[in-house]
Amino acid sequence: MLPKAENSWTIFEAAHLLNRAGFGGSPSEIREFHALGRERAVDSLLQPTEALDAFPLPSWATKERALADVRATIESRIALRVAMREMSPEAAENAKREANKAMQQEARQRELEALSWWFLRMLKTRAPLREKLTLFWHDHFATSIQKVKEPVLLVQQNDLFRKQAFGSFKDLTQAILLDPAMTLYLDTESSKKGYPNENFAREIMELFTLGEGNYSEQDVREAARAFTGYQFNRREGKVYHNTRQWDSADKTIFGQTGAFTGKDAINLIFKKPQAARFMARKLWEFFVYEKPSDAALDILTASFLKSDFRVGPLLREIFLSQEFYSESAIRSQVKCPVQFMVQILKQLEISDPPKAFPLAAQQQLGQVLFMPPNVAGWDWGQAWINTNTLFTRYNLAGFITTSSSSNSLIPQDEAMKAKGMGPAKRMARSWKGPDYEKIAPRPLREKPADLVDSLVFRFFQSPVPEKARKSFLEYAIQKKGAIFTDHETAELCHLMLSTPYYQLT
Amino acid sequence: MKTRRDFLRSTMLGASATWTVPMFIERTFGELHEGARDLAVQPITGKDDTILVVLQLAGGNDGLNTLVPYADDVYHKARPRLAKKETEIIKLSDHVGLNGAMPFLGSLFKEGDLGVVQGVGYPNPNRSHFVSTSIWETADPNSHSSTGWLGRYFDNACPGADPTVGISFNKTQPESFGALKNPGVCLNSPELYRWIHSGGDKDQAEQFFADLNKPNRSTTHDDDDPSDGNSIAMSAGGKVGGITGEGNLAFLERVALDAQVSSKKILEIAAKHKTSVRYDGTPISRNLNLVARMIAGGMPTRVYYVSHGGFDTHNQQVNSHDRLLGQLDSGLKSFFADLKQQGNDKRVVLMTFSEFGRRVSENASAGTDHGKASCLFLAGAGIKGGLHGKHPSLTDLADGDIQHTVDFRSVYATLLGDWLKAPSIKPILGANYPKMKLIG
Repeated sequence: MLPKAENSWTIFEAAHLLNRAGFGGSPSEIREFHALGRERAVDSLLQPTEALDAFPLPSWATKERALADVRATIESRIALRVAMREMSPEAAENAKREANKAMQQEARQRELEALSWWFLRMLKTRAPLREKLTLFWHDHFATSIQKVKEPVLLVQQNDLFRKQAFGSFKDLTQAILLDPAMTLYLDTESSKKGYPNENFAREIMELFTLGEGNYSEQDVREAARAFTGYQFNRREGKVYHNTRQWDSADKTIFGQTGAFTGKDAINLIFKKPQAARFMARKLWEFFVYEKPSDAALDILTASFLKSDFRVGPLLREIFLSQEFYSESAIRSQVKCPVQFMVQILKQLEISDPPKAFPLAAQQQLGQVLFMPPNVAGWDWGQAWINTNTLFTRYNLAGFITTSSSSNSLIPQDEAMKAKGMGPAKRMARSWKGPDYEKIAPRPLREKPADLVDSLVFRFFQSPVPEKARKSFLEYAIQKKGAIFTDHETAELCHLMLSTPYYQLT
Repeated sequence: MKTRRDFLRSTMLGASATWTVPMFIERTFGELHEGARDLAVQPITGKDDTILVVLQLAGGNDGLNTLVPYADDVYHKARPRLAKKETEIIKLSDHVGLNGAMPFLGSLFKEGDLGVVQGVGYPNPNRSHFVSTSIWETADPNSHSSTGWLGRYFDNACPGADPTVGISFNKTQPESFGALKNPGVCLNSPELYRWIHSGGDKDQAEQFFADLNKPNRSTTHDDDDPSDGNSIAMSAGGKVGGITGEGNLAFLERVALDAQVSSKKILEIAAKHKTSVRYDGTPISRNLNLVARMIAGGMPTRVYYVSHGGFDTHNQQVNSHDRLLGQLDSGLKSFFADLKQQGNDKRVVLMTFSEFGRRVSENASAGTDHGKASCLFLAGAGIKGGLHGKHPSLTDLADGDIQHTVDFRSVYATLLGDWLKAPSIKPILGANYPKMKLIG
């Protein structure tokens, strides 16, 4: 076990836990969480009471409807093919193109609905760690709508990640072998006896379980033969192991020989000690900080093996450890775009952001849900930040802190009219902004120092460098004048969010 | 000579008494490698410097329908639906011609200002978009380098340069800009490349903003390693480069400062130049227009990076590929006319690249699948026009793909050495690749 954290449990530590294990919260949420005490707070994250189906899926993503849709699509394809026989080649080509276009438009629409559904779930959930882990698994077993093209399969995969979020990494890897979206993404379908496709075999070892250097090229080639015959039956919505397409001859993987299936190959992978170490490191780096010490990693690996790859117990150990609350951990992580957006909304107590906000912001900041750039997932940490994305973060903060009624500047601003800001402009028209009466009650505005300290806690949950606090305070004092209106409060908030410090959590 | 430090001093918060030059900038010159210290350091700014524009054709450009081997029967047989007839192309030689969608590049070729490098690639090619793009951008076929070839040029050959030594017009930083010290800046739209403040007293707010977005001495990393040309070495982390051991806050402060320092200048310059040359409304034309505005305004930038996407033509390629090449041609036509009008045409060389070419044979959907070697264009008055390298054989294939005859790193080495005048190539590319006769 990692050395445990001391008995003290400050509100800053509570905020840190909620930030990392979830997406942060408003000051009152943090206080509520702090009141639980450390152990109970951690347990509340690991054993959420919110039902898995608390957020109804878009109607097209329910199981029955999805299967019915697939059957209808197959029927209409057949009908089209029949009809095309009677058409001239041009007309047939045209009809085919029209049908494809309609399907693409529908897929695009559903993709947006799916993205918005998940984003709002992250924002509103009472089971934040489960959503954070769902994001973690989405990045780990990265699968993109760009190749899969069927949003319903991504939503189903998302559901799998959520259901098994705290469970066994090994079981989840087995489930991924039978996941339709992954099958399409890594071309397992075309991998047949005599013609094995190495894509899945390679990625599962390199990116999903062991890491480079912990397997040989021969292991990949042999495992690829074990992974033959896994095929997606669209009508059933399931991946089956078709033994007629499976290479049933002996394979030698990691020095062991047998007539292995894909399932066997995964079991062999999980017999290698590197699998536990690989995932323990990745979880630590996602939740705590990059490059853990070897000593800490040894301990975590042992715990992970002992709990048979169950993620829940490992996270419990991490969240109760002293190191999780150390100086190198607290406020040291660059927020990923999704964290940045959800957290800013939670801190400003906005539960109903403008509709176009999630997509516009994700696109501009470089993390669109269901669209990781490749099978390795997103590049994290400093890779999120460059001069362009930093300005975009600052300006998104400016947009969300400012109501369009009090700020005539936004819709008319020449900048907002510039290309690429179309959706932002549309949403700006109706955006009411946060409720500043709640965030900065009038009496608080009488005392600039108290106002600044209160907002600093709200946005940073820890002291900021003295220089920065002084800047905020001076600004507040200069702005105060006769009355401190919502407008000026918004300006102060925007200034605080337009800082390097705010990009960290 | 203007250094990054002078630049910062003169443009930013000049009046602020509390402002001190951050340690990492102060030390820039002290950090030079012993051997490099005596070398003449390039002037960073000034009207006379050469400029390289890198134009990415993203998705894998079909080289065989760009530079068409029209005289080769194998080409016509392999592509019954896609092959360009002799009458459809702009002949460059008895063997090859340009896709007819590129009349401007055809005329540039006649004037001797277009070089076409044939059969460009690298050993053991990778057919993944992601991996192969990374290989071209890092110039490391193992794809392990955490820095890019242009970032290493900034670090090694432009010490003391201000952050706008490289400007990318992509939303995210191209891997080629990854650097240990100076990764250039990314810029999507100059109008948005600033802190948009909503309040009443803008100047006042902006001053506070500026103050908050400059490094704090206590968090600035002051212990970084000298730049000794090892930046191509392996790294465990992502591919953004970055100073080894630099904390996240110090990193953020550095980017914030770069953003802030470059913002004012970029906005000013973008607003200044108005051209009478007409550009198309396509993203590539728009971005080339921005590059021309930056050049006209006298930015100290040595390298610009723009992308033109959509080249992954697996399906019904004929119209889409010709359209993309037409957009490229039209954008370049406006761009070079603009540069000529400004009098900057002799300072600028443009290079295209793409992660790979495509299969010799067309596929069942009248498209082409991922291939290997391809061609690239070099345009500008500084270029030695004509065909360079040898067109690969269409019969001596590897897995259905033509094999490279020119290593792309030779093209890089030539541009770095002969055009950008980098004092030494080895620290940038990791080795000395044979140069080609591409300049002059």
